[in-house]
Amino acid sequence: MISPSNVGVDIGRTLKPHEYIGMVRRDEVLDAYLRERAAEAGATVINGLFLKMDKPEARSGGRYKIYYNHYEKGSVNGEKREMEVDAVIGADGANSRVAKSIGAGDYDYAIAFQERVKIPDSKMEYYKDLAEMYVGDDVSPDFYGWVFPKCDHVAVGTGTVTHKSEIKQFQAATRLRARDKIEGGKIIRVEAHPIPEHPRPRRVLDRVALVGDAAGYVTKCSGEGIYFAAKSGRMCAEAIVEGSENGTRMINEADLRTYLKKFDQTYWPTYKVLDILQKVFYRSNPAREAFVQMCADEYVQKMTFDSYLYKRVVPGNPLDDLKLAVNTIGSLVRANALKNEMSKVAL
Amino acid sequence: MALFSPSPPTTLFTLSSKAHLSTKTQLTLFLRKSQSLVLLRSAGDNGAGSVGSASVVEEKLEKKEEAQKSNLGLKEEEEQGLGANGVSLKGEASSSFKDPRWVKGNWDLKQFEKNGSTDWDAVIDAEARRRKWLQETPEASSNDEPVVFDSSIIPWWAWIKRYHLPEAELLNGRAAMIGFFMAYFVDSLTGVGLVDQMGNFFCKTLLFIAVSGVLLIRKNEDIETLKKLLDETTFYDKQWQATWQEDDSTGAKKNKT
Repeated sequence: MISPSNVGVDIGRTLKPHEYIGMVRRDEVLDAYLRERAAEAGATVINGLFLKMDKPEARSGGRYKIYYNHYEKGSVNGEKREMEVDAVIGADGANSRVAKSIGAGDYDYAIAFQERVKIPDSKMEYYKDLAEMYVGDDVSPDFYGWVFPKCDHVAVGTGTVTHKSEIKQFQAATRLRARDKIEGGKIIRVEAHPIPEHPRPRRVLDRVALVGDAAGYVTKCSGEGIYFAAKSGRMCAEAIVEGSENGTRMINEADLRTYLKKFDQTYWPTYKVLDILQKVFYRSNPAREAFVQMCADEYVQKMTFDSYLYKRVVPGNPLDDLKLAVNTIGSLVRANALKNEMSKVAL
Repeated sequence: MALFSPSPPTTLFTLSSKAHLSTKTQLTLFLRKSQSLVLLRSAGDNGAGSVGSASVVEEKLEKKEEAQKSNLGLKEEEEQGLGANGVSLKGEASSSFKDPRWVKGNWDLKQFEKNGSTDWDAVIDAEARRRKWLQETPEASSNDEPVVFDSSIIPWWAWIKRYHLPEAELLNGRAAMIGFFMAYFVDSLTGVGLVDQMGNFFCKTLLFIAVSGVLLIRKNEDIETLKKLLDETTFYDKQWQATWQEDDSTGAKKNKT
């Protein structure tokens, strides 16, 4: 992690040998794996593209009719088909059509812009098992810029909610900050994704539920979504299985609401803590300096990774917590003092 | 120019003229990489997560139009970005921060010595200057010369001496004045003397409010800032709670109808 004044800290030192931070390097691969596993467990996998659906009268217990384009393996042309189902789980990403069809409402979103850059092998060596995060006003006013390794190339990018129109500048700044490390790279692909900032106002309607990005489960601060997407999907499925008593009775909205309740109860603290972290530490350059200083602390790293890997916000040792609080406030005060000084300095 | 075809005519013109030269090279590059333009253009939409990626050209086309409507600005950016990048990333030469006392990513404390001890004030000045410089002209981070300077090496008393004293004087003075006036005010209204006030719970609360008020509200703007902070801290909660509130409101509506 690299601060606005280019102080870098390595935040993987406390990881034990069996622990590692996974990153989705190729989402297609993960998707295929999950699909195959579902098929093995007895699901019928249909390769189709959801177009729209007809809702039965509210609470009537009728079936949903969904229209989709069916694709055979390897063919490019879809065939229009329809099918009747009892319940729909929308897991179709940030631009979800299922969400649109139940009027789930919008969320604020951040845009993440990234360039996939093929860099020389000698430079790639450095990124073999590390990713970089850059923070600073130049890179993003409310998020971070990153260099993530992806198999044989790196992704250089940045994101923002508040200054979407200036994303290009931020991208240039990110590239500049990583300049020496990606020199000689070739851009092979440019991508932009919306990242949900908070859950949609409506995540369940009758027998339709949303999970993952479609529902808006992306954490602030770290911008992580895959874990919560998988987890919410699982919770939702479990709620359906439980509610239908293994398929013997029809479910209703209340059953799906139990999934929402469970999810919110389990993960709300995690989301809230990350939101607070983002608000406190991504606020300004001095705050970011303090954040990076804080991250250099071993105790912080241990706590962060515990909560990251095991997805619980764990209370720590009170004495260490107190020390941490004092140190953090110290860092913040120092950084702000320097900022005040900066306004007086003429270059 | 297949790349630009879905754009509305006005932007089409400006974009293609602006990025004409570089897109040519761009196109050849992508063709060499044997990636279809359609796939490239729609890399921005990620709604296709649940669908096999090779077979969704039709969807992509539809999405494209959708996306064009919703965030045209973003798309433009993408294209311009491509044009401006050129094919390879070359390091542009930029001036970096230079100071004779800044050696190998750290302040050389020996050069800050004054009368046998380090002049921390000067270190603070120097670091402030460096940060200001970096804010204005961000610099590439480097592995060969990492920044090792850590502001925590400056001892606490140097900060206190520099910042706290003037501020503390102001705050203490203000607190004393407010405290005295309040004591006088309470005394004149209730007839409870200063000594008795100290044993009174209500007066202790007043005292507490006065002190925290003095600490929190140092300038008039602070009131606004505090208000904003309060809004900000609850904003995310509201966004999350929306699901559950909506439940109540629709329930209420249904009851009415």
